[in-house]
Amino acid sequence: MDNLESEEKLISTKAREARRLMIEIANKSKSAHIGSSLSCVDMITTLYFYKLRIDPKDWKNRDIFILSKGHSAMALYANLTLRGFISKPDLFQYLQNNGKLPAHLDRFTNKAIEASVGSLGHGFNMGLGMAYVFKQKGENRNVYSVIGDGESQEGSIWEGALFAPKLGIDNFTVLLDYNNLQGYGRPTEICHYEPVRAKWEAFGWQVYEVGGHDYRQLIGALDAPSNGKPKIIIAKTIKGKGVSFMENEMKWHYFIVTDEFKKQALEELAAE
Amino acid sequence: MRNTVIDTITKAAEKEKSIFVVTGDAGFGVLDEFQKKFPERYLNLGVAEQNMISFSAGLAMAGYNVFVYNITPFVLYRCYEQVRNDLCYQKLPVTLIGIGSGVTYAPQGHTHYSVEDVGVARTLPGLVVLSPADPLEAELCAKYAIKSKKPAFIRLAKYGEPKIHSEKVKSVESPIVVKKGSGVTVLFHGSVGIEVMQAVEGLKARPQLISVPMLTEGDFSGLKKLLKNTRTVITVEEHYVQGGLGSIMAEWIIENGVDVKLRKLGVKNEYIHKIKNNLGMREHYGISASEIRRAITSEFKIVKKP
Repeated sequence: MDNLESEEKLISTKAREARRLMIEIANKSKSAHIGSSLSCVDMITTLYFYKLRIDPKDWKNRDIFILSKGHSAMALYANLTLRGFISKPDLFQYLQNNGKLPAHLDRFTNKAIEASVGSLGHGFNMGLGMAYVFKQKGENRNVYSVIGDGESQEGSIWEGALFAPKLGIDNFTVLLDYNNLQGYGRPTEICHYEPVRAKWEAFGWQVYEVGGHDYRQLIGALDAPSNGKPKIIIAKTIKGKGVSFMENEMKWHYFIVTDEFKKQALEELAAE
Repeated sequence: MRNTVIDTITKAAEKEKSIFVVTGDAGFGVLDEFQKKFPERYLNLGVAEQNMISFSAGLAMAGYNVFVYNITPFVLYRCYEQVRNDLCYQKLPVTLIGIGSGVTYAPQGHTHYSVEDVGVARTLPGLVVLSPADPLEAELCAKYAIKSKKPAFIRLAKYGEPKIHSEKVKSVESPIVVKKGSGVTVLFHGSVGIEVMQAVEGLKARPQLISVPMLTEGDFSGLKKLLKNTRTVITVEEHYVQGGLGSIMAEWIIENGVDVKLRKLGVKNEYIHKIKNNLGMREHYGISASEIRRAITSEFKIVKKP
């Protein structure tokens, strides 16, 4: 097994664990957005178990991750639990009365949650500001952000996209969770969504395209050069990925994981 | 006042290395010195207000004390949700410097007026709303914002406003008595203060004049004592009569059980189609010196009746 293979293996194991945790808390809390969270959990796990430098002992030099599509918070909470920043009892208090974690991110709930995000088209831009400071001060710190394809309809995303290349922030990487399913339709049907790659290239970004559930490709793109530009990784994903009956189904933006759904999902996600 | 505020920030930036100035493509001739002195702590983020505010939040999250300069609609209205979520909800040290308070820019058109900004801003818990009446207050407001590291909004007119204080102002954190008097108390904020000062020139009656530069998060605890010999409170502001100081006082009077009549002078709640300059607008809406004088005199007449 080469090095990359063992990295992949680790991410795969952790992503599977994260999915199981997400199903559990989605069921307990009867909350929406499990489909959106399953869509981006692989890229978030790749960040937390491969790329991000977040050592509690060297906290001031840590990399920053901002989940701009804040409604996928479950994927972040699960990863922060696996990395030891959120305790399991606290995770299971997700959305519970007097619990510890809200449906959308509040940075005062945990030190590893970098930004309060829920409304779309905010986190991405805050990340740009942070990346600018690190770059300008010569700090070797990177900023990563996950945005949604629905989120990319926000004007603020394109405001930020227009300025970022001018600021020389090659320490900023955004991952686009491109599952082509948003709240009430498909981005490619709702608006003139494509060509996504050409748009970002025209805005002056370094663009990579990957399969969003392929760890080797995600690693490759995360490690690939930025060439002095901000980087976007267009990750083709499947909403609800990992649970067969949730995959590519818009309803899983909203549906609640009932006890029966939970049982079926956990069977599919049983540890290898 | 805008020059005073920017000069104060520029001066402080020599020592305070965390001060960063952001503009949304405004500030010709105003920000030149700061930009020249501290190019590494200055950014023009262009005509993109949502990004401007979120980006500023990011600067603050990475350690800067940020001052965002633009006309008020572009620091507060266009990007209200960014101010709400990114600055206030996250309690970040970002100060919005909004120019063109009230109808300063008349007759530029309603799009460029800020007649509801205090009402809008004071819905946001933790946002310190500062509306200085003259350069002395403006300097203290800037100093407060630099030191407090709280989200803040400084409401300014433009430049060249005269001083209204004859002596040094100590603090803007509580209402300031500008002129002692009794019977009628005039409370005001912002550049329209000069109209209030002119209104009482040569007036036989002696109303008490109070400037209220800190409209939210301020200390109103001494106000009850100041209004002890007051029968009528008149609020004067270059702002809608709803949502601003008049509304703040209406709430305060009721909540504190203070037995006074309240008369609110300000811009009528309507979209402004009239084409008049700043002074013409003040006259039209009853907040010019002569209109304020008329209001004060009529209240004194009522006060005198048994």
